[in-house]
Amino acid sequence: ELPGRAEAPPKMAAYERRRAAAAPGPAEPGRAAPGGAEPPEDSAGEFLLRAGVTAMVREALLKVLEARPAEPVSFLAEYFERLVPAEAAAEPPGPPQRLARALWYVRLAHHSHRTAFDSNAGAAYEVLGCGGRRRAAGVDGRLYSELLRRICQRGAAPAEAAAALLRRVRCRDHEAVPFDVFRYGVLTCCVLLEFAAKADALFAVLGGGGSADTRLCQAVLRALEDALGAGHGPRPGRYLEAGSRLGPDGLALAMDRALQERKLGSSMSREEFLKKATALFIAKVKPVE
Amino acid sequence: LQAPCILTSVCLLFAAQRHVLTYMEDAVSQLLENREDITQYGIARFFTEYFNSVRQGTHILFREFSFVQATPHNRASFLRTFWRCFRTVGKNGGKYSNICWYLLTAQEYHCLLQLLCPDFPIELTQKAARIVLMDDAMDCLMSFSDFLFAFQIQFYYSEFLESVAVIYQDLLAGKNPNTVIVPTSSSAQHRQRQPPNDCNPLEGVEASLFYQCLESLCDRSKYSCPPSALVKEMLTNAQRITFYGFLVALAKDQGINRALGALPDKDDLFLDPVMDQELEKLVAQISGLSMSAPPSSSGDTASMPVRNSPRINSPWKPLHHRRKMDAESEGSNEETDSSEN
Repeated sequence: ELPGRAEAPPKMAAYERRRAAAAPGPAEPGRAAPGGAEPPEDSAGEFLLRAGVTAMVREALLKVLEARPAEPVSFLAEYFERLVPAEAAAEPPGPPQRLARALWYVRLAHHSHRTAFDSNAGAAYEVLGCGGRRRAAGVDGRLYSELLRRICQRGAAPAEAAAALLRRVRCRDHEAVPFDVFRYGVLTCCVLLEFAAKADALFAVLGGGGSADTRLCQAVLRALEDALGAGHGPRPGRYLEAGSRLGPDGLALAMDRALQERKLGSSMSREEFLKKATALFIAKVKPVE
Repeated sequence: LQAPCILTSVCLLFAAQRHVLTYMEDAVSQLLENREDITQYGIARFFTEYFNSVRQGTHILFREFSFVQATPHNRASFLRTFWRCFRTVGKNGGKYSNICWYLLTAQEYHCLLQLLCPDFPIELTQKAARIVLMDDAMDCLMSFSDFLFAFQIQFYYSEFLESVAVIYQDLLAGKNPNTVIVPTSSSAQHRQRQPPNDCNPLEGVEASLFYQCLESLCDRSKYSCPPSALVKEMLTNAQRITFYGFLVALAKDQGINRALGALPDKDDLFLDPVMDQELEKLVAQISGLSMSAPPSSSGDTASMPVRNSPRINSPWKPLHHRRKMDAESEGSNEETDSSEN
């Protein structure tokens, strides 16, 4: 048998394996996003049962075993296609469905895997843009903003940061959004989410719990600001310089100095730290013309 | 997934053989990862799209290596996708030249592979390169065609090749896996111990003996093997065969290539009139806009993808179609985002 593939591995294990194998994405603490009201999550099994997936899959497999087709994959594709009209009105998907599909595409690959991300962004653009009755509707500002809003919802980014970012990259509601702008907006939101997640992790290191020493936080934020403003030369040089400014030795010195300079003072909350950190990022985002 | 519990082992065997469970499980995993979005989109619609994607062979795009190599169909789809995406790399200069300009090293081919599969292992690429290069240094240049067919053999028949290597080593050491040991006279035993090529410095092993071992391997193995009739034909004219001689012959054999069904014949590797037409249309569109892309023959355009692609004006084609087409014309992964400043 093929290596790495047992005959019928348990579903949960495969799910975990896939998540582990996938490119690094935003950290999962985003589930308890500030300001977001996420409903408590079903376990995988419960969700599948509740959504009717378990029954659907069982029926499909039974049909395959009954018919024993030469091409089971084609058979299954056609089988599920016949189920579609039963689920939704036999019309092309409306904006909510298209938004959901586009969101799903955008989340498939991490933005660092640029080829995949671009490909998925294109797919999202296309699915959003195919209007119901008007074939080549394109993506308008309203749909674009709604998509960006939803992308930012599921993560550690504070609501204000998301709103500030949206203000920079938005288009007018009835304006047609060209693909490069669309991609830019989507990419920037994904980067913001990751940035916020990393800032969150950083805060956890600084203090853990809900608050940390203000002096430490400010020292770190200052270092971050310095690094983001680093250099004016060609890009690789700027990255290297920023990286070196954030090196552990320099940062440790800065934090140590901060602790000595001022007396023990206030503590900064996680929300405030995130707000300040993400503001640094937003400041670097080029607004859309 | 309660389904497997109520099925008999015979039924499971059928499903597993066609890897139906592999795909169903993968689909459910994807569903779980994006449950809200997919529920809103429509679960039956999702499954339809998933299995259509598997049918068309686009499902392996950008997936992790463990999935890409999980089934023979996945491997074949990946090979086909790699060919379709990057054949322009090896394409000659179109109407104006018969010289193939683009030769790449193993490392460069590996970068291309990683564009499609981010965690593709370097060892596989190197083993494929070894088939092409033999004793040459690993940083030598290879043509797209040479690399692709060697890679096909190495990747699709990985497990088979591993077993063949073991068989070959055994034969070299004089161990014949097919021999029945008759524990009678000492002279008989002595005769068997002696390696067949003890006295003559001939390379490799005896071809017919080698084939016998391969035939029994193909009969009993659970993984994909090249059709033994074709292997037999391949070895007919040889007296002796070396391991790499065998691999090279496998890679070059067009009968085996056709039986595999992933790639076209070697002569047709760069033939794609539909693609050429599409590219000419794109070139026309681009030259119609006031862009800085120089008007050039479709051959040149194919090998140097235009950066400012016509996405700006024209809507994207349907997903499965688009993945076959635009992925070919879009070879650039330059970091030219305006988001990076």
